Amino acid sequence: MARSIPFCAVTTCLLLITGLCYRVAADGLVNEEVKRTVDLSTHLAKITAEILLSNQGDSVVHSFILAVEPDLAPNLAYVGASVILSHILRPFPTHITQAERQLVVFQGNHYLYSPYPTRSQTTRVRLASKTVESYTKLGNPSKSDEAIEYGPFHDVAPFSEDALKVHYENNTPFLTISSITRIIEVSHWGNIAVEETIDMRHTGAFLKGPFSRYDYQRQSDSGISSVKSFKTILPASAQDVYYRDEIGNISTSHLQILEDSVEVEVRPRFPLFGGWKTHYIIGYNLPSYEYLYTLGDQYALKMRLVDHVYDDQVIDSLTVKLILPEGARNIHVETPYPIDRIPDQLHYTYLDTFGRPVLVVSKNNLVEQHIQDVVVHYTFNKILMLQEPLLVVGAFYILFFTVIIYVRLDFSITKDPAAEVRMKVSSITEQVLTLVNKRFGLYRHMDEVVNRYKQSRDTGALNSGRKTLEADHRTLTNDISSLQARLKAEGSDLTDKVGEVQKLDGQVKELVCRSWQEAERLVAGKVKKEAYIDNEKTLSTKRLELVTRIDSLLDTL
Amino acid sequence: MAEQHTAADGKHKASPNAGGSLHGNSRTNAVGGGGGKGGLSGGLAQPAGWQSLLSFTILFLAWLAGFSSRLFAVIRFESIIHEFDPWFNYRSTHHLTTNGFYEFLNWFDERSWYPLGRIVGGTVYPGLMVTAGLIHYVLNLLHLTVHIRDVCVFLAPVFSGLTSISTFLLTRELWNQGAGLLAACFIAIVPGYISRSVAGSFDNEGIAIFALQFTYYLWVKSIKTGSVFWSIGCCLSYFYMVSAWGGYVFIINLIPLHVFVLLLMQRYSRRVYIAYSTFYIVGLVLSMQIPFVGFQPIRTSEHMAAAGVFALLQAYALLQYLKDRLTKQEFQTLFFLGVSLAAGVVFFTIHIPIIASVSEHQPTTWVSFFFDLHILVCTFPAGLWFCIKNVNDERVFVALYAISAVYFAGVMVRLMLTLTPVVCMLSAIAFSSVFEHYLGDDMKRENPPIEDSSDEDDKRSSGNLYDKAGKVRKHVSEQEKAEEGLGPNIKSIVTMLMLMLLMMFAVHCTWVTSNAYSSPSVVLASYNNDGTRNILDDFREAYYWLRQNTDEHARVMSWWDYGYQIAGMANRTTLVDNNTWNNSHIALVGKAMSSNESAAYEIMRSLDVDYVLIIFGGVIGYSGDDINKFLWMVRIAEGEHPKDIRESDYFTPQGEFRVDKAGSPVLLNCLMYKMSYYRFGEMQLDFRTPPGFDRTRNAEIGNKDIKFKHLEEAFTSEHWLVRIYKVKKLENREPLEHKLRSIVPRQKYTSKKTAKRKRGHIRNKLVLKKGKKLNKK
Repeated sequence: MARSIPFCAVTTCLLLITGLCYRVAADGLVNEEVKRTVDLSTHLAKITAEILLSNQGDSVVHSFILAVEPDLAPNLAYVGASVILSHILRPFPTHITQAERQLVVFQGNHYLYSPYPTRSQTTRVRLASKTVESYTKLGNPSKSDEAIEYGPFHDVAPFSEDALKVHYENNTPFLTISSITRIIEVSHWGNIAVEETIDMRHTGAFLKGPFSRYDYQRQSDSGISSVKSFKTILPASAQDVYYRDEIGNISTSHLQILEDSVEVEVRPRFPLFGGWKTHYIIGYNLPSYEYLYTLGDQYALKMRLVDHVYDDQVIDSLTVKLILPEGARNIHVETPYPIDRIPDQLHYTYLDTFGRPVLVVSKNNLVEQHIQDVVVHYTFNKILMLQEPLLVVGAFYILFFTVIIYVRLDFSITKDPAAEVRMKVSSITEQVLTLVNKRFGLYRHMDEVVNRYKQSRDTGALNSGRKTLEADHRTLTNDISSLQARLKAEGSDLTDKVGEVQKLDGQVKELVCRSWQEAERLVAGKVKKEAYIDNEKTLSTKRLELVTRIDSLLDTL
Repeated sequence: MAEQHTAADGKHKASPNAGGSLHGNSRTNAVGGGGGKGGLSGGLAQPAGWQSLLSFTILFLAWLAGFSSRLFAVIRFESIIHEFDPWFNYRSTHHLTTNGFYEFLNWFDERSWYPLGRIVGGTVYPGLMVTAGLIHYVLNLLHLTVHIRDVCVFLAPVFSGLTSISTFLLTRELWNQGAGLLAACFIAIVPGYISRSVAGSFDNEGIAIFALQFTYYLWVKSIKTGSVFWSIGCCLSYFYMVSAWGGYVFIINLIPLHVFVLLLMQRYSRRVYIAYSTFYIVGLVLSMQIPFVGFQPIRTSEHMAAAGVFALLQAYALLQYLKDRLTKQEFQTLFFLGVSLAAGVVFFTIHIPIIASVSEHQPTTWVSFFFDLHILVCTFPAGLWFCIKNVNDERVFVALYAISAVYFAGVMVRLMLTLTPVVCMLSAIAFSSVFEHYLGDDMKRENPPIEDSSDEDDKRSSGNLYDKAGKVRKHVSEQEKAEEGLGPNIKSIVTMLMLMLLMMFAVHCTWVTSNAYSSPSVVLASYNNDGTRNILDDFREAYYWLRQNTDEHARVMSWWDYGYQIAGMANRTTLVDNNTWNNSHIALVGKAMSSNESAAYEIMRSLDVDYVLIIFGGVIGYSGDDINKFLWMVRIAEGEHPKDIRESDYFTPQGEFRVDKAGSPVLLNCLMYKMSYYRFGEMQLDFRTPPGFDRTRNAEIGNKDIKFKHLEEAFTSEHWLVRIYKVKKLENREPLEHKLRSIVPRQKYTSKKTAKRKRGHIRNKLVLKKGKKLNKK
């Protein structure tokens, strides 16, 4: 009783043989019908096999073995729904001029390379163009537009090989990323910065002879195998995209924001011909809430280990650096496929004290199918979030404090007694000035009182005003005299001037008293109004004169 | 950009007012101190505090405005190094940061001047690179991960802030604080300085103007105080200046001139003696520490004036000392006159070669004076007059500074840069005095403060050691002195006029900065009719192609203008560059460019050239291309190789330089012409012009059939701006120029078969008649 297992290369368990024969026939599996498709329309070889499998043995089979030819093994990039081989298409001729088209050779196997015998099989080769220079003619294949059909072949022995060789025209971009460094920097302040440094080269047929811009611009089929631009698809939430190299921004790019992605039309500074290479940096920011998951102190970052650069990409060497926040501990990584861990590093950037942990992983020979998520688990104490603001606050605090200390304290190593005295004297004169001003204020106040008295004829108010004036005046004069004494003690020559001011002030005081008496007399009717006005005028001119003199004295202080 | 406008305007409105109110503060703050204004005096209880807060704010704003108005290029394009020389500075800074200081000092650059190389450490002023490297180092030490390119790009704008602060300090020493603040605002935005310090222009001048102003400030300070401390400070600042720019010669001549004039004016004092003796000795020793300067300060004529004045000062001091002992005064004065005259003659005869040596560049036109300084150029003589009217030691200095700077700027357009700071200071003094006069409604008019040196001690003591108010004098008297017939209307009109002028100045500065001085020249921009912008990035395209797709040690020949850019951006070996130290090497390149292909090939092979790079603007109409510079190449080549290259060969008999059919055949077949126009003859740019129409020179080219034998086109940028040719290696076997001589074989040995065929013939065979095709018209 034969049990057939329809198989589409997606198996529960997959084993690979890339080497010598293996003792396998024992479990009695047979490939009943195989439909093999070799897709050579890009610069990759994608080999898909639809296998109808039957178990002719007695025991139950849980797994079966998929084998790859030993010659192709070094080029094997990915095994999944199809086997993908990179760098398997060899340009032939290896050097072409700008006007020529690119011809490539594929060397493979007519048969399915399998540890089991095959009953019947067909192989279909899909090409990139109609132009085919030559192809092996095993079993009289039929060639349609862009495909060659081999077979059906019957009863093929296990591990049988027969060289399939196709030499055909293929002008698809033969771009290869010779190395890419992807830096993912996670910040708990809500941002994930991604930066990719890419070394890229055109691995098709080398350009021979001159590159003529005239032909390139005027003839559409000139340099047909060269690469002018390609599209890079970034995550939909990517912001602040930049595209630059060592000498600055590359101004030839375009950015298009679509609903589910951000598309960058990456145009290198110059078109890439065979053998030419370029180097650039592309970077963007992502909001962390889409990629960072948290539960208490537990964090999980789920991001693509490698992202899309161009369709059907080939990456020779990938290095991913995951920079986690400062203070992240218990880090462990779940990768979708085995990759090499390189010892962790530390990274220092803004406001870091003990460095951020950096996970470094690397892998060679990747293709588009490797765009899968990696998950990084780590714990992070949320208190540490405060560290950076506190650092800034502390720095400013120290700055201001230093300034305050510097301004307040005297750091001079010499002492200048003269300057010291001068300072004291100037502070005393300062006080004298304020006091003298106050005294003038008193006089003005008294004038007002007198005026009010002239209208209201209230002797009581006048007298009380006079009393307060006299009292205040006395205290002020005493204060000034004491200050004068202190000035004298300091040995300043300003003492005399202050004394003169005092003397003049006495005269002013007298005048004020007289004007007040005059007013009293006027109110009492002892003087006539005209006489009073005359008197008042002379008094005020005298007073003004005195005040001016005092002013000039004060100015010299 | 709107921000910048408002910032600039706001500052300008603020500063004169601030100047005015400052005076208000420093003088009495109110006349009516008697009764009514007690509250006001309470509010302004600490005018000194207010004053310093205000000055601080104004200086900060000036810094900010200066910084942001220099960012046009960064905002419009990107953070990129501009032009030519900055690329070299950037490259050496990069070298410094990656390899360390000593490696930089010992750097032998084998990538330039192939095959000679260049000792970079000994042939540069390292101040700029060390400054940028130091800032980068400190930032990285603090974990501020800033790329060295960004440090270099923003260095000049940051230093412009420092320049405005040191201008403020200097002007404050010369006049007063208000004038200082005005001067700081002026220098922050004046185009004459911005032209050399926009973001991305990473050149010596950017930091040198700061060093210049600061040295002068410290010099004035040391003249005022006569203290060794300030003198040493001045020397250190001078040392920085020497390390930064060749213009230090200006300082080392101006300071001795100042001392000399002080002696002539009988203003000798001990302070002068101490300041100058210290400055000369320490400054001399320090300046000789820069490898590039070396022993020049004691050898070359530029520095002799300083030495002469030093000797004169010593002699004069000795005479002064003797005068105290002796009494023959007539003899003394006679002697003094004799010595000073002799020294003066020596000074000026020595001084002339300097002027002659720097005058290689074009003299400045009046337009460029106005363009770069605007209103300041009109007002600064007024400031100079104020200074001379109230002269003292340091104002003598600023007067000399102004006069010499005006002279140099008139001789050479590049030295506009040294004129700008002094113009700003003197204009600030003029504006400040005017505002003091017309804005002072409620202030008592006083003479401009003549703070002679004796005042200095007093000022220092009332300085900020104690948190005490400055001098507050409240005048009691309410009477106002008669205001010399100035009504309030006239006052306000004059003030408004002045403010208008300042506003126009600010607008002009912003406009000039934005339109004239903010193009990186590495990236070109053109505007379409609808206002959208096209960026022509051809230079970087081609340089980056060289960087990525040529051998690491490939040698690129180009005209010297592009040497630094090729080294900086393409990282390839060049033959000649902007450090034009070896004229014969340049002449050799010029000769290769102006010879025919086979002669040029000989030269290029002897120089190991792998690629030739030229700039060709014919497609887009870029006028600064190599064909337009070509006559210089011819002239320089002729200077060294007069037998092979003659300039007259490249002109038409009428003496014109033409690229069309009428051009001279020598020109039409020289290497530069062929490289520029290779395959251009097939290209039709639009339908109105014939194919091969050169847009730059508006002519249809004369030689459209260009073939190369020893070169091949390696790369041409998108708009044909840069064309790179590869020099082919010698062939294994030289192909013959002519066809093989066809030897008629003798009939003797003909085989039967051919003989048979020979005998037979086709009847009525059509005879092919050779003739010319008629030209279709």
